[in-house]
Amino acid sequence: MAKNDLQGTLDLLVLKTLSQVGELHGYGIVLHIQRASDALLNVEEGSLYPALHRMEQSSWIKSEWALTETGRKAKYYRLTAAGQKQLAEAEKSFEQLVKGIRAMLRYA
Amino acid sequence: MPLFRRVLNLFSRSKVDREIDAELRSHIEMRMEDNIANGMSPEEARRDAMLRFGNPVVVRERAAGADVALGLESIWADVRYGLRQLRRSPGFTAVALITLALGIGANTAIFSLIDAALLKMLPVKDPQQLVELKSVDPSVGLNDQFSYPAFKEFRDRNQVLSGVLAFRKLHDIDFEVDGQGALANGQLVSGSYFSVLGVKTIFGRPILPEDETAAGQNPVAVIGYDYWRERFALDPAIVGKRVILNNSPFTIVGVTAPEFFGLQPGERIDVSVPLTMMAQVRPDFASSGSPYDVLKAPFRNWLYVMARLQPGVSNEHATANLQTIFAESMREAADGLAGLPYDSPAARRSLLGTTLRLELGGQGLAALRQQFSKPLWIIMAVVSLLLLVTCANVANLLLARANARQREIAIRLAVGAGRQRVIRQLITESILLAAGGGALGLLLAFWGSRSLLVLMLHSRSTMSLSVRPDSTVLGFTLLVSLLTALLFGMIPAWRAAQLNITPALTQNARNTDNTSGRSRLGKVLVVSQITISLVLMVGAGLLTRSLKNLKNFYPGFNKENVLLFSINPLMTGYKEAQLIPLYERLLEHIGAIPSVRSTSFSVHGPLSPNFRFTSIKVEGYVPRSGQELAPIGIEPVGPKYFGTAQTPVLRGRDFTAADREGASKVVIINETMARYYFGDANPIGRRLSMPGYRGDPGWLEIVAVVKDAKQHDLREQAKPTIYLPLFQIPESGVTFEIRTAMNPSNTAAAILNTVKTVDERLPVFYLKTLNDQVDDSLVQERLVALLSSMFGVLALLLACVGLYGLMAYTVNRRTNEIGIRMALGAKRAQIAGMVLRETLSLVFCGLAIGIPAAMGASRLIASELYGLKPGDPTTLLIACSVMTAVTFLASYLPARRAASVNPMQALRSE
Repeated sequence: MAKNDLQGTLDLLVLKTLSQVGELHGYGIVLHIQRASDALLNVEEGSLYPALHRMEQSSWIKSEWALTETGRKAKYYRLTAAGQKQLAEAEKSFEQLVKGIRAMLRYA
Repeated sequence: MPLFRRVLNLFSRSKVDREIDAELRSHIEMRMEDNIANGMSPEEARRDAMLRFGNPVVVRERAAGADVALGLESIWADVRYGLRQLRRSPGFTAVALITLALGIGANTAIFSLIDAALLKMLPVKDPQQLVELKSVDPSVGLNDQFSYPAFKEFRDRNQVLSGVLAFRKLHDIDFEVDGQGALANGQLVSGSYFSVLGVKTIFGRPILPEDETAAGQNPVAVIGYDYWRERFALDPAIVGKRVILNNSPFTIVGVTAPEFFGLQPGERIDVSVPLTMMAQVRPDFASSGSPYDVLKAPFRNWLYVMARLQPGVSNEHATANLQTIFAESMREAADGLAGLPYDSPAARRSLLGTTLRLELGGQGLAALRQQFSKPLWIIMAVVSLLLLVTCANVANLLLARANARQREIAIRLAVGAGRQRVIRQLITESILLAAGGGALGLLLAFWGSRSLLVLMLHSRSTMSLSVRPDSTVLGFTLLVSLLTALLFGMIPAWRAAQLNITPALTQNARNTDNTSGRSRLGKVLVVSQITISLVLMVGAGLLTRSLKNLKNFYPGFNKENVLLFSINPLMTGYKEAQLIPLYERLLEHIGAIPSVRSTSFSVHGPLSPNFRFTSIKVEGYVPRSGQELAPIGIEPVGPKYFGTAQTPVLRGRDFTAADREGASKVVIINETMARYYFGDANPIGRRLSMPGYRGDPGWLEIVAVVKDAKQHDLREQAKPTIYLPLFQIPESGVTFEIRTAMNPSNTAAAILNTVKTVDERLPVFYLKTLNDQVDDSLVQERLVALLSSMFGVLALLLACVGLYGLMAYTVNRRTNEIGIRMALGAKRAQIAGMVLRETLSLVFCGLAIGIPAAMGASRLIASELYGLKPGDPTTLLIACSVMTAVTFLASYLPARRAASVNPMQALRSE
């Protein structure tokens, strides 16, 4: 998959995770993606953060420092209304992409 | 607001970095904890965590990049794209820029004047600490001058001031260098003046406390930088130069720094001398050796006093402390009256009841502020309205353009640009336009404010005001530009937000439904332009007609063909006894000039800002109970004064040369005075006295009643006034009035020569015609009338451009419809009529709103009007007719174009 598409996919994964779990820190998002995809999807953990910050600047997500269950300070992310909308759009366009690719594969 | 946050983040990059670091660290540590819980050794756990994470430095940089740079980069792209768009339509850009430059420039120009005249602090050390001392006499009101003894008490006994200074302006000093005389603007200062203000000299030394020790002992002078440049060409050998000021020798000891002009904005001080030198520079005023000696008499108030408060001392505390000192000084003043003709229980009561007041002094004396504050704010209101018209105009232009750009914007939206992104782009373009207009406006303003200054101050050569581009003015311009961008930029942005992509892409732009929204909004804009223009035109009309009334109403004298000049012989060494012979010689010699019809003189001269009042007793007159006796104006005049001024003598006779010392004492009163004291009875032969006036001249017999004449300004109500024969009570300092057979300017040279032949060394001041004097007294009114007319016309022109644009656009859009109408048999005249009717309906709509608005607005300037009422119907009618006529012309071209539509072509192009 091309690099640009990968980024879009990562956004989609993060947004979906947050919409399912609610509030989560970066490490938790990584764990959730792994678990939910049956360990099929392994993101490079560091590359998550530029994406998180970019989405925050686009006002799709909001962040807040809070304590984890083990008493560690971590930055928690949460979906905004704009993020909800973005998620819906991203899901739709991903669906299109998958449909398109499938059609291509079948055609051969 | 993400953009704002990102720009802020630029300035706090290290904080952003720290926060990201903390976040990444917490991630790696959580992974390590889990790893250890899964049985790894700490070392293994750490390696695994780092491996999974990737390079933390790179991650941090990329995350920070997302936080900081993203917004700025796209702004720059917006700016470049905006510039390209504006370059692509140079006509639109030029018109918009010129319009904005006019609007913003006018506002900046007027504001820079307001700033310089009304808002700016003095160029001295810590001006905000300065206070001006004033006294309040309950019966007279505010007084801003103090006696020299009172000043010394303040200086020596206060516990609240870190310094106190006194000064007195000295207009028209005869400043003689190497035998060459010239007029200069001077002041007498206390020794503390320069040190308290913190004003430095660039050459030599300032005037010091030791220069203020004894009367007449310190003939030293400090000159201003500008005077040094003008008179001495920056000659560095200036210190130690001996000069003659009003016939008395002085030595120049220093030159003040260039930025210092004195303590009154608008006025430039050329030379300062110690106030103890009063008797040398103004012997006529000093009254040395008499009970009225300015340096000794505690009741002679002649010094302005300013002080610097000690740090931490409040205004109330300082006032209380100074009040106790002042009260003692007032008691001395009351005692000092003993044996003087001024003395009366009332006079003493008034002195003892006087209290002290401190006012902020950091802006200097208030004279200029008071004189120009109202007119400047009126003009500021006018230019603000003009700016609104400007905004409406540019908005209208942008609206037309937005329509043309609909397809472009629709395409951008269709290929995936966010609506917000497009709106931001459009706003960027508006801001670029406003910035360009603001920059041009700034240039226009500097040129304009200089010309305005000349208009404002032209009557007084000694006035000067520095209008420089400083941070306040630049800040104002920036604010106004942004505000305009916001006002007119909202419209295309709003349109883009409303845009429906599909029809915009598929339909012919000319036929889209959206255009009806455009013309509705356009109509609203044009109507509001017409409304505002009408308000401005009515205001300008009222002010202009008031000016005309002031000029044309009969002032009680004939202002044509009169030349004025002033002399003050005591200043150049004459003795009191020599005055009358000198005046007689002058009258005789000037009267002998062939073109001179008649000559006389008076102390104040017509429309002079100076005046004198006294209270009088009228023989046999008993005031009705409760009647307040108004103070009576006094004007000492020469023989044949009323004949020369052509003020009608209603009863009795003019003064003659025979009304002199020794002859029976006489007086002439004006109509208002006669009516006030005598009603319909004949006052001739009755007597009055003025016990408080100049050592009590005794009983004076009324020999004439003259018509009321304006004394100080043309607006004043007639006041009871008495005229004294100057030959009976001689004094120095008179203004000659010379009536000539034709243009008085032609006689000026002959008169100057004649004065020279009488006394070569007698300086002549203020040589000018009475007409010029009248004009000078109207400088404010003329300024306001001229500027409001100028801006009113400008607003009208802009409204016409707006109307023209709208109608041209409408005709263009309706070409098809017009073609069909014609094909169905409509006449060309009917088509043109249709367009004109639409124009007129807009104009009448604007007028219908504008007339009540103008009537309301004109009430705000009621005090500036003369001889007409705020809602003057004639002015309203004229303004409405002008508006209708001009706007009709503006729609003529579009109407003709509509009438010349070729129906075949119009239909074929469908």
